[in-house]
Amino acid sequence: MDQFLQLLVAGLATGAIYALAAIGFTLVWQTSQTINFAQGEFVMLPAILALAARDLLHLPFWAAAILATVVFLLLFGLGFKRFLVDPMLKHGVLPLAIATMALSILMKEGAKDGYSAQAAQFPSLVPEGTFSLLGAAVSLRDVAVFVVAITAIVALQLFVTRTRLGRTMQATAQNPTVARILGVRVERMILLTFLINAGLAVLASYLISPIYLAKFSNGEVIGLSAFIAAIVGGFNQVRGALAGGFIVGLVDNLAAAYVSSGYRTAVPLGLLVVFILFKPEGLLGRREERTV
Amino acid sequence: MSEEPILKVEGLVAGYGKMTILNGTTFEVPKGSITTVIGPNGAGKSTVFKTLFGLLRAREGRVEFAGRDVTNLEPRALLEAGICYVPQGRNIFPELSVFHNIELGGIAAGRGLSDMPARIEKALDRFPALREKRDVQAGTLSGGQQKQLEIARGLLLDPKLILIDEPSIGLSPLLVEETFRFLIEQRNQGVSILMIEQNARSALAMSDWGLVLELGQTRMFDRADIILNDPRVGQLFLGGSLAETAA
Repeated sequence: MDQFLQLLVAGLATGAIYALAAIGFTLVWQTSQTINFAQGEFVMLPAILALAARDLLHLPFWAAAILATVVFLLLFGLGFKRFLVDPMLKHGVLPLAIATMALSILMKEGAKDGYSAQAAQFPSLVPEGTFSLLGAAVSLRDVAVFVVAITAIVALQLFVTRTRLGRTMQATAQNPTVARILGVRVERMILLTFLINAGLAVLASYLISPIYLAKFSNGEVIGLSAFIAAIVGGFNQVRGALAGGFIVGLVDNLAAAYVSSGYRTAVPLGLLVVFILFKPEGLLGRREERTV
Repeated sequence: MSEEPILKVEGLVAGYGKMTILNGTTFEVPKGSITTVIGPNGAGKSTVFKTLFGLLRAREGRVEFAGRDVTNLEPRALLEAGICYVPQGRNIFPELSVFHNIELGGIAAGRGLSDMPARIEKALDRFPALREKRDVQAGTLSGGQQKQLEIARGLLLDPKLILIDEPSIGLSPLLVEETFRFLIEQRNQGVSILMIEQNARSALAMSDWGLVLELGQTRMFDRADIILNDPRVGQLFLGGSLAETAA
């Protein structure tokens, strides 16, 4: 029971991080049909950039983290859209998806060659230690990660539903042609979603790297988990991605403890197969009606 | 036509990719009237609207609205100028509420309009069915209510010209009548309307002017009752029998 409680909290914490990545993933899919196979690397890189800025520029850690955030937003929010998505989308969804795969390899190898092939300690932004909950020693860091991630998601949800700008962004995602007919500056709205995606990736990166260490190959597991979370959740809903993130995080952590740590990533994949077979529209998604 | 037309289209050339659909389309829309565009499938009716509204680039030609050149302007600029476009089919944001759907009709005004809440209330007053469903997701509305929503949204900025494409598609005869009545009411308040309708007979019956488009060319332009009673038009587009009009 103690262990179960610990795993539950740890699962919710990693799940919240997967949810951050999954929400960004569905946002860019909705507004610009971008299936970003580099999403995991998007979460891997900001931490590496921050460490590199600290080590190479001899900056204090907080300044390095801010610099890395700004650079990442410019390169992988604005730059990603302008120089990869815009030119490739003209050729179709599939060429764009393949281009993002190429980008993921480039980011991974770039992080390895440019910084380190070793896993590096990443300073925790939240306090370490444990506290007792119903007799179980629960990690303070897990709770803090959960709280920070959920706060970000709630803030995003409030922005999207309660502000006119957020609703305009939603409208653009739901029907870009009609949004344009109503005078929405569609390109700006799409750029906004790319910036939000990059911002969510930075947050996820700074939250997960203290737990799993910062390493060039981190994106593989995170990307896969976020992808599964998005599919399970329904692929077109923030709430869906959130639910999907929690499910994958919990399944992942429980499977590692009770089934086998070697097969931990296989279990969420099994979950994906089950969903694709029996509930392809996901938990909260609606069936897509597409006309050409 | 003693008054200046609200819209003048001259020698419009446009199409998709290498395909040219409009090859020198020329016509005028009289001010303060309802003009119905009829023509066979593939005549380029919807293409004209898309080109007028800046969704498709005019390769040649000129569009003049209220005396001003508006060729190839962006939709936002055209909305500001006083044109609105209600396309064919369903054009709502299904997961936003009815209220928020209507609110988006004012987006082109930016933050410039302070009376936006009052305008939305007025739009809801016009369509009681929408007021009743103010806070539900627009995707749950019936087809007719969705069309009403689109029209209410389009009118939010008080357009001078409404481009409306096939408003009757998928609506019950009762709702079609209601929609047409609403358009007449708008016309009586001085709004000009350019409408495409498959339901040509009843559309022409409520229109002031008729425009026959074929292969992107204006074949006829006259008073709606004259077009309606022209035997050539009757044979070509209105169908000799009821069975054919359904096509």
